[in-house]
This record gives sequence, C-alpha cells and structure tokens, in this order.
Amino acid sequence: MNMLSSLMLASLSVLTLPIMSSILNTHKNSTYPHHVKNIISYAFITSLIPTMMFIHSGQETIISNWHWMTIQTLKLSLSFKLDYFSMIFVPVALFVTWSIMEFSLWYMHSDPYITRFFKYLLTFLITMMILVTANNLFQLFIGWEGVGIMSFLLIGWWYGRTDANTAALQAILYNRIGDIGFIMAMAWFLFNANTWDLQQIFMLDPNLTNLPLLGLLLAATGKSAQFGLHPWLPSAMEGPTPVSALLHSSTMVVAGVFLLIRFHPLMENNKTIQSLTLCLGAITTLFTAICALTQNDIKKIIAFSTSSQLGLMIVTIGINQPYLAFLHICTHAFFKAMLFMCSGSIIHSLNDEQDIRKMGGLFNAMPFTTTSLIIGSLALTGMPFLTGFYSKDLIIETANTSYTNAWALLMTLIATSLTAVYSTRIIFFALLGQPRFLPLTTINENNPFLINSIKRLLIGSIFAGFFISNNIYPTTIPEMTMPIYMKLTALTVTILGFTLALELSLITQNLKLEHPTNMFKFSNLLGYYPTIMHRLPPLASLSMSQKSASLLLDSIWLENILPKSISQFQMKTSILISTQKGQIKLYFLSFLITLTLSMLLFNLHE
Amino acid sequence: MLKIIIPTIMLMPLTWLSKKNMIWINTTTYSLLISLISLSLLNQPNNNSLNFSLMFFSDPLSAPLLVLTTWLLPLMLMASQHHLSKEPLIRKKLYITMLAMLQTFLIMTFTTTELISFYILFEATLVPTLIIITRWGNQTERLNAGLYFLFYTLVGSLPLLVALISIQNLTGSLNFLLIQYWNQALPDSWSNIFLWLACMMAFMVKMPLYGLHLWLPKAHVEAPIAGSMVLAAILLKLGGYGMLRITMMLNPQTNFMAYPFLMLSLWGMIMTSSICLRQTDLKSLIAYSSVSHMALVIVAVLIQTPWSYMGATALMIAHGLTSSMLFCLANSNYERTHSRTMILARGLQTLLPLMAAWWLLASLTNLALPPSINLIGELFVVMSSFSWSNITIILMGANITITALYSLYMLITTQRGKYTHHINSIKPSFTRENALMALHMTPLLLLSLNPKIILGFTY
Repeated sequence: MNMLSSLMLASLSVLTLPIMSSILNTHKNSTYPHHVKNIISYAFITSLIPTMMFIHSGQETIISNWHWMTIQTLKLSLSFKLDYFSMIFVPVALFVTWSIMEFSLWYMHSDPYITRFFKYLLTFLITMMILVTANNLFQLFIGWEGVGIMSFLLIGWWYGRTDANTAALQAILYNRIGDIGFIMAMAWFLFNANTWDLQQIFMLDPNLTNLPLLGLLLAATGKSAQFGLHPWLPSAMEGPTPVSALLHSSTMVVAGVFLLIRFHPLMENNKTIQSLTLCLGAITTLFTAICALTQNDIKKIIAFSTSSQLGLMIVTIGINQPYLAFLHICTHAFFKAMLFMCSGSIIHSLNDEQDIRKMGGLFNAMPFTTTSLIIGSLALTGMPFLTGFYSKDLIIETANTSYTNAWALLMTLIATSLTAVYSTRIIFFALLGQPRFLPLTTINENNPFLINSIKRLLIGSIFAGFFISNNIYPTTIPEMTMPIYMKLTALTVTILGFTLALELSLITQNLKLEHPTNMFKFSNLLGYYPTIMHRLPPLASLSMSQKSASLLLDSIWLENILPKSISQFQMKTSILISTQKGQIKLYFLSFLITLTLSMLLFNLHE
Repeated sequence: MLKIIIPTIMLMPLTWLSKKNMIWINTTTYSLLISLISLSLLNQPNNNSLNFSLMFFSDPLSAPLLVLTTWLLPLMLMASQHHLSKEPLIRKKLYITMLAMLQTFLIMTFTTTELISFYILFEATLVPTLIIITRWGNQTERLNAGLYFLFYTLVGSLPLLVALISIQNLTGSLNFLLIQYWNQALPDSWSNIFLWLACMMAFMVKMPLYGLHLWLPKAHVEAPIAGSMVLAAILLKLGGYGMLRITMMLNPQTNFMAYPFLMLSLWGMIMTSSICLRQTDLKSLIAYSSVSHMALVIVAVLIQTPWSYMGATALMIAHGLTSSMLFCLANSNYERTHSRTMILARGLQTLLPLMAAWWLLASLTNLALPPSINLIGELFVVMSSFSWSNITIILMGANITITALYSLYMLITTQRGKYTHHINSIKPSFTRENALMALHMTPLLLLSLNPKIILGFTY
C-alpha cells in the first residue's frame, strides 16, 4: 500500500512542473496556459487512483515524515497527512481548478499577462494543497499564509484600479487578524504539548483547551469570513471572476472550516467552544443571507451566498459533525464554482455588466448558461437528489434532531429559506422576463472552453454529492429515525422561500420603488457593518498614529526631552558662564584705556 | 581570522591603485571573494567556538553576523555606483575606502574576544559611518542627522566604558570566552543596577530602543544608499550582538531590570509600526519598520530563554537582508523619480515589472511570510514572549497585523495604481540593480531551507 502515498505525492508534485519550467523558460508563452490546464487535469486523474484505493481499502491515515530540523526538544518535519479529508479534498479541488483554468482560458484570453495569471492560480493551488495535506501546524501555516498572499495578488490583479487594491489590502487585513489566533494556538501547543504535529497533539489531549481553540476559531473566522471578519469576502469580488470562482467560493475560504475539522478531536470535548462555534456560524449564515437579499451585483449576491454557506459549515462543526461539514465543503465546491462561472459568462457576454437589474431575458440568448445557473441554484438550495441535497439536507436534519441551541437552529432555518429567496432573485432578474441590457451586445456562449468547463462542473453538481456521500463513513452516527415533519423541514422552508420570492418579485416588479424602508436599508448597506467598522476604527487608529505616535511623541516629546533640551541647556549655560560676551568695542576700549594709563604711569614714574 | 581581516584591509590599496574604469569591478569582485571565504565560518563543528587566536574567535552567534557583514560589502558597492557616478575619482576612492574601513572594524568587532577591544571597535565603527553620512548624504539635514547619530551612540556608550573598567577591576578579565564560565551572580545592590544600566544602555541606543530611536530615522533617511544599507543591516545588529553577549554576565539583575525595557519595547513596537502607516517618505517608513523589528529583538534578548535567543539571532539576520534590500529598492526608485515620496512613484509595476517582483518579494519577507527566515525569527520571538506572559500575544498580534499592513501599503503605493505622467521617461532597471536584489533575495530563500545555521549559540 506504499503506492498510495507516493501516487498522491506524485500528483501533487506534478503541479510544480509548470512553475519549474517557467524558470527554465522552456515553453512558448502562448501555449503556457494550456500547458498548465493540462497538467492540472493530469494531476486530477493521477490523484483519483490513490483516492479510490484509499476508499476501497478503508485505511485510516498515512503520515509521511521528512526531517527538517530539530530545535531543542521540538522536532520539525516536512510531513504530509493523507487521511480521509485530504484524500477526498485533493481530487475535488483539482477537478474544480481544472474547470476553472479552462474557463479562464476563455475569460482572460485578451489579458496580456495571462501567463502570469495562470502562474498565480497554480501557485495558489499548490499552497492550498500544502494546507490540506499538512500534518503539522508549521506546514499548515505555510499553506495558510500562502493562500492569503495569493488571494492578495489575485484580488489585486487589475492593479490600476483603486478598488481592487483596497479590496486586496482588506482581505489581507482581515486574514491577518485571524492569523493572530493561529499564531497564538501554535504558541500554546508548543508551550503545553511541545509539539506541532497534529497526531501528537491529539494523542496528548491537553486539558483546558479553551485558549488555543479560541485562537483557531479566530483564525477560521478570518479565513472563512465569519461574522465580524466577513466584509473582505464580498469586497474580494473586485478580482477577476475565475479568481472568485476558485479562491472565494471553493478552496481558500473553506480553509478555516477545514482547520476546525482537522482540530475536531480536540473540539469535540469542549462544549464552550462548540456552542461558540455554533452561534458564530448561525449569526454568519443568517446575516450574510440577509445581506444577499437586496444586492444588485450578481457576483456580490453569490459571494454573500458563499459566506452564508460557510456559516452553515461552521454550524455543522458546532453541532459536532465534522464529516458532514466536510461533505458540504466538497459538494459546495462544485456548484458554487459553477455559479461563479455562469455569472462570469453572463458578465463577459454583457460587456462587463454586473447589475442584475440590467440583465433579464437571458434564457433565450444564453440557453446553456441559463440551464447551468438554474441547476446550480437548485443544487445550492438543496433540491432533492442534486449535489447540495446530500449535504445540506443532512445538516439540517442533524441539527433538527440534536440537542442544540434552539436559537441557532432557528437562525439556520431562516437562512436556509433565504437561500432560496436570493437564488430565485438571481434567476428571476437575470434570466426571466424581458431583456433590459443594451441591444447591441453580442452574446456568444459557444466557446468550447466555456461550455466544457461549465459542463464538467454541471455534471459534478448533479452527481458528485451522491458519489461522495456514498463513500463517506460517518464517525458520529446520525439520527436514523425522525418524525416526518422534521424530515421535511429543510425542504419545506426552501420551497417556502422559493414561492415567496417568486410571488414577491412578480408582484413588485412593475411597481415604483418607494422610499426604502429601514429593513431594506439594513440589508442593502450590509447591516451598516462596513460603514461603521471601515470608518471609525481606521480613523481612530490612523489619526492616533499620526497625531500621538508620530507628531506628539516622536516629533515633539522625544525630540524635546533629549536632544533639543540638552542643546538648549548647553547653550544657556555656556552663555551664562562664559566671560566672553562679544562686546568688541568695550574690550578694545578697555584695552586702550589700560594701555594709555600704563603708558602714562610709566612715563610719570620717571 | 587574519585571512579575512587582512584581505579586507588590502581592499584600500586595491582601490587607490586601481585604474579609473576598474575601481568598481575590482573592489566588488574582491569583496565578494572575501565573503566567500567567510562562508566557511558557518561550519561550526564543535559546541564551543572556533578560537583562532587570543584575539579573535567566532561562534554560532557571531559567524552569521560576520558572514552578513562580508556579504553586504559587495552589495553596497554595487548599490552605490549610480549615486557616485558624478563624483570625481578621488572621492569615489575615498568612499570605497571608508566602506572598506567600516567593514574591517565590523569584522573585528564581531570576532574579538575581549570586551574592551569590542568597545573600542564598536566606537570606531562610528567614524567611517559618520563620514559617509555627513559627506555623501543628499540634503543639508545630513549634518543634523550625523550629529544625532554620533551623540546618541556616544552618550549611550560612554557609561559602558566605565562599567567595563569596573568589571575588569572586579574580575580581572573581560574575555568573552572566560565570562561564559564565570557563573557568579552579581550581588543585589544599587551599584549593580547601575552597572546593568551602563552595560545595556549602549546597546539599547544602538538597537534602538523606543524612545532612544530618534537618531535612526534621521540617519537612515539622510545617509547615502550604502550608509542606509549598512546601518540597517549591520550596525543595528551590533546592538543585538552586544546585548546577547553581555547579558551573560549580568545575571540575576536582568530578571527584574528587564521589565521597564520590555514594556517600552512592546509599546514602542506598536507605536513605530503605526507611525509607518502614516509615512509618506519611503526611506523613513523603512527606517521605522527597522525600529519596530528591532524592538522584537530587544524583547527576545531580555526574555532570556534559549528559544528567544534563537529567535533574536534569526530575526537579526533576516531583518538585515530584508531591510537592506528594501533600502536598495527605495534607492532605485529614488534614482528614477528623484523623490522619496511614495505617492510620486505609484504605478511603477506597469513600467518596471521585474522590479515590481523584487518589491513584492521584499515586502513579503518583511511581513514575515512563511517559510522565510523572518517568520522563523518572529515566530520564535512570539513563542517565547507568549510563554513569558500570555497577554503579550495581543501586542505581538497587533504588531504582526500592522507590519503586514504597512508592508503592503508600501507595495501598493509604489507599485500599484495608475502611473503618473512624470515617470513616463524613466530609465529601465539595470542588470546591476536586478543582480543586487537577487543577491539579497537568494540568501533569504536559501537560509529558509536550513535555518539552523543562523539560530545562534542556543540551537
């Protein structure tokens, strides 16, 4: 069974080939993007073999170690952990990336730096793989920071735009706040367990794990855009659409959830952290779903829906079901990446128009995109037997039947219903009704790169959930029996959301927009969160740094206390003590007087 | 040790005897060769140290700093070429002589065995640096900067002389190698507290400690490029090196004397980082970022655990290369836009894409992206300060966040955005400049493969 780990590592190391070859410059620039895409598809196919072997043989974990250095009592090694999570996630991520790469061949074809774009995407993928397969905290941190920086570079891809730069900086800022938690957890584990290796930490099972788990929760909050540190995710939509599809829906943003899943063995015994996680997830999922309701930018809606789904995953961890959360990560990757690609297809066809109010009637013009968008939305809302159903329905059922915080459950249910509402809204405004876009736009969706890439994910969005959930082995046994109304809750709230949204849209689409209500404003202005948090604390801290740190302390106090006061003091004392006053006239006069006097006296003496 | 010191001294005749068109090439090649010789010191086979003679030794703490010193001389020469191109030949030669002299002093400072000769050489490094700053700086403020630089350091270090003489009287020896084995605790008395202060303040000023740091931004901003490089990369590390050496003989006073300085450093680290957020002057930003990073080193040295010593040493080396590279980048901008103001250099990525890549790498190492050695250093410092007191993680975390912010702020303002019209006609970047950046970056990347050679004597 040694084949397994070597095959997996082979499929990962294949990914580094294009980066190497770009240093050696052996390729032609025009074919480089295709080369990258092909390499990723090879890596995907290679990685399928060990995954299937792994599932078939029912192994637990394979850990490979390569010693790096030993510091005092701490051994640091390059160590890969191939367990259920990484084994399943790697092919899923590779599959999604493969499609997205193909999609970017179409979307970015006119960009002069398309080669660099592909290199960035590939580097991102490599760091993500490092993150997923890491077995110690240090290696995990390498991947963790790596995806953060690559997201900075990719969000700021169009670096001439101020918005893109601010969004990139914002992403780094929020991620860095999360990193404080990560570093604190690292420090705590080093201090209390003297190891950063995951399996050793779990084996030692240290007591009083509130502090490190809080740190990890903070880290996950930053990376997975949970409430409090969420505004960077919608802002990140300033980046190109393939970036949104890869980083901000399917891979990077789930890293936080993934981290919590990895640390689940510590978390499952800590009730405080679990209920905190549950509430955090519930707030996020509801809040961002509310924000999604009134947005008009198609990418923003999908971004908020991603945030809401991430909240759902955190809820799942909060109810002690890491395997379900992981299942949702995998299924979510398919349809959310596809939704982004569909929106990219629409945006590109309508000459970079992102406002859903200026779309409409696209089901005639873009039948394929329409189909995919609708299937993606249905999968997202948990339509039975599409991919999303297998994870989402299970999550809601488990939450329903577990002894959980009723408030959190209610929040989650409302958010689930709202998922259907905003999905309907996209479909209704973008696809149905009369066209509202400019009449002269040439709409063409018949590029094979576009069609193939979406088609692949479309198939994934229909079947992937079935396959993955068939191969998952539940460690915490889910509730097998439940009353029928509990079984149907998820479906009912979703259908409720659908019908409500459709009716409301139909009723109100011809009405004049009245003076916006407070509820509308709350949702449209993202709960006033960015307005407050992006103005007051920066203003306070920046003016503090300017006024007190720079001007008051550095330029006035420190300058005056030591150098200026000393020189002043020296000057004053030297003036006081010195007999030399610079009165030349008087000196000469006195000199003259003495001279004359002495002359006279000498003369008189004789 | 003479095989490094004598060649370095011979750099001066080489400069004066070289032909006009060969001075840069000769000196750069020769100093690069010297730095290659010094690499062999990194191999420290036994746990103690390599004793070369009664005068000189090197151990895992001084060896990386020594290699950094020799490595930086060719880089300084490469960086100064454009800056001196308009000067007459004799001044160029004088400039190179000054750099070589500084290098000689630095090498001897890092390898000497005697505290008193360490002190003399420590002071001797001031002379060439002062001449470089006040003679070749760009503006009239350079004289003021030179004054600040000289007087802060001198006033800080004079008490050290007194303290050293008193220790010599007390113990009969000032040998580093002997002090290691002289584990006698200092009695708890007022005079010993002042002894502690006298010994530490010299290095605290040099580091610099927050509050005594005013000379640093001034000197860095006004110095010519080689001056900024050597100041940021090595002269600040003299302080760290001295602190690491001298704390060995100051126990147990450090245990309680450290508190005010720890607090000041932790506070100053946040303050100086937030000053960076509001800087418009590129060189001043980098200078303040040095203060903030050095505050971490002070914290690490004062905590006095093996981990923190490792962190301090690693951070010093990492910061030496990173800040020197940032100064080079700032200088290459300055030579094109003739201004240190960041906003005037925006959008340079469009025109100089390769330089933008260097900027990106330098900013990323400055914000300690894993797995760079900057991260190793910072991580070790954070770990040891966390184990010293859990609350420090808040300050450390805030500092990490602000560091990332100002590094990327610097990157975005200079490289991103729409380019301005006055930079339409700038020169493309020279191979010399790219080579310069590569020579900074390569050691940083290679060291992250095997950081243990820069982890100091507690590894």
